[in-house]
Amino acid sequence: MTRNLVLFAFACLTMLGCNKSHNLSPAPETIFDEPGMHVVTSTFNQRTETISVLYGNDAALSHAGQARPEHVAGEEFKLVTWGLKPNPLWFGSDINGPLRSVETVKIVADAYGAARIDYGVENRNEETAKIAPTDSDERINFIFAQRASVFP
Amino acid sequence: MTSLKRKRYSNALAISASILFVAFTGMQVASPRVTNPPVTSEFHGPQEVTSILKRACYDCHSNESNLRWYDKIAPFSYVVAADVEEARKRFNFSEWDSIPKDEQEGKLWYMVNMIDAGRMPLPAYTAAHPSAKVTPAELDVLKKYVTDLSKANHTAGDTARIQQKAGLQTSNAPAKAIPTSVNGIPYFDDYKNWKVISSTGRPDNGTTRLIYGNDIAVKALEENRINPWPNGATIVKVVWNSQHEDAAGNVMPGNFNNVQIMIKDDQKFKDTEGWGFARFNGLDLKPTGTTLSFATSCINCHQLASETGFVFDIPTKKHAVKH
Repeated sequence: MTRNLVLFAFACLTMLGCNKSHNLSPAPETIFDEPGMHVVTSTFNQRTETISVLYGNDAALSHAGQARPEHVAGEEFKLVTWGLKPNPLWFGSDINGPLRSVETVKIVADAYGAARIDYGVENRNEETAKIAPTDSDERINFIFAQRASVFP
Repeated sequence: MTSLKRKRYSNALAISASILFVAFTGMQVASPRVTNPPVTSEFHGPQEVTSILKRACYDCHSNESNLRWYDKIAPFSYVVAADVEEARKRFNFSEWDSIPKDEQEGKLWYMVNMIDAGRMPLPAYTAAHPSAKVTPAELDVLKKYVTDLSKANHTAGDTARIQQKAGLQTSNAPAKAIPTSVNGIPYFDDYKNWKVISSTGRPDNGTTRLIYGNDIAVKALEENRINPWPNGATIVKVVWNSQHEDAAGNVMPGNFNNVQIMIKDDQKFKDTEGWGFARFNGLDLKPTGTTLSFATSCINCHQLASETGFVFDIPTKKHAVKH
């Protein structure tokens, strides 16, 4: 009995100090920022453990939002990909981790008025460079296939 | 000490002891009693789940409180009675069906995360009632239970039927009133020009999200000034129902679900850790909450993110868990 009372009193004093702490600090370097680019859509993939946001300029957004079905010169897309990790503060949620790559697709008009599609990928770390896809056509098709998310 | 002084001393001691005794007895008489109202709609789940919940949660979160003799002695009885009252208010397993199904699912996830974070059962309670502790293996049982429950409850969105926003209003159409939360926070479109601070996927409830921060919030992240966040910091979370996973495992946003806003103002929103909460549901942006008290359930859950200034979805560096 006495033991329980003592334990209870002790617990009352220490109850505030027992929560799990994660040592979390912000990682602002993972925030993508490029003026003139708007969010088109986003995706996550538990198999590849990646999370991506597709950005586009005004022309790209018009296409992806289906306001204009055909592609035109001047469209620029950027697919930003991060690693995926469990949210340390909520079991059940995945959140982006470090930045992995930025893929750019541009539709450029050449001097004769013909359109050309340029693809480029910038890897942000050595590890992802090794596994980065090399088939640019496949990546262009993937990016062009995205439809804009519906916003209110 | 002279005999006179000794006598005075022992008299004072006797008087003090008597006062303490009377006060202690008075506290026992006035001590609050925890009663058990009838069980109206009990929680039902797999036996392995209910047995954990009964042992770890029911003393406070049900109408089947089984208090030990030492829980009934003042001053502890006051703490216990207050805890039980608060616990039953948050959720009550004996009146489980009085809350909507989707809210039940949300509460179950909240419980699992409170246990996972070591906040529940209350450490003070498990110290005096060691049998209420939830072991890591039992926590895994609960995690699996909520994960399976959500998988069954959430069918992914269908690409072909994504609901688009209604067409642009003609100039003759009357201007629609701006949807406004009961606490005065209006919906706004500005966040679409802000930076995305994080992107999250919740297979748990079948949603995909983007989290935006205004300049003050982004600067606070850059300067690691988030505990507390500066006044004016604003976070907006846009939530979509997830579509079916494609052949490569990609999960895309489907129908728009809701938008949630957090605005930091430590004077205006003193009762909720300085954060004003608002949530607008569906494309017609129907505000959540009819009374100001809706924000209490917001902050109760956001307490789990106290380490990051009560914001769940910020980008964080690789971390090591410590207890």
